[in-house]
Amino acid sequence: MTVELNSEEKDGVVTISIEGEFDMAASPKIRNFLTPLFKENNRSVIVDLAKVPYIDSSGIATLVEGLQWSHSSDKKFRLTQLSPAVKDVFEIARLLTVFEVFDSHEEALQGA
Amino acid sequence: MAEPIKITIPSDPRYLCVNRRALQQILTLAELPEELTSQLALCVDEACSNVIKYGYEGETNHSIEISYAIDNDVFEVKIRDYGKQCDTSKFQPRCLDDVKPGGLGTFFIHKIMDSVSYCTKREKGTLLTMTKNLKTDMVNQKEEE
Repeated sequence: MTVELNSEEKDGVVTISIEGEFDMAASPKIRNFLTPLFKENNRSVIVDLAKVPYIDSSGIATLVEGLQWSHSSDKKFRLTQLSPAVKDVFEIARLLTVFEVFDSHEEALQGA
Repeated sequence: MAEPIKITIPSDPRYLCVNRRALQQILTLAELPEELTSQLALCVDEACSNVIKYGYEGETNHSIEISYAIDNDVFEVKIRDYGKQCDTSKFQPRCLDDVKPGGLGTFFIHKIMDSVSYCTKREKGTLLTMTKNLKTDMVNQKEEE
């Protein structure tokens, strides 16, 4: 199963939509997609996880890189629409309060 | 389950999903709640990822043998590899207060499973055995609800 990635820009914010399982097989592709955005460092990033039914520690690690980037820049790195299974993994890792997590894309866009 | 169910996958990350699907089906047949099924699949997945990363050092042409059993409400998974034997005492869950990429897989395994043991008393590779008491967990989940 391959992961699909789409990006959309609105009001200076890039939204990356991921479709598929975010595991050890998919993480390198997703990291390669996100890293240039961090290097450009001129837009905030929202990652839409609505179509991600599964995430493992390599997926979390990829997202933590985004979190670290946002801490070292004035841009936001936000997550939105986590599925219950993905939310559970974040909860076990106690990361729900570490990341900026939003229920809807509209909410994530506000102030991004 | 009368007999353990065995599955062998290549040490290639692309095949991790094959094992996850198989385990999810086994646990669905055992009528486990969805949340617990997902958590057990995560643990097995993380353990197999560690085999690929550390045991086989990223080489994709080896095999990972996995065996599942449920007996007296105890779920047991054995994961056998024939790769490099690592110092398993170094497989410790990391502190969550330090948010950094990596190192979470072992944390998930120890947080979710009841017992985790690595055996390297063999010529090649490692046998990892993990167990989870399903009854205790389901009672706890119901109480939380």
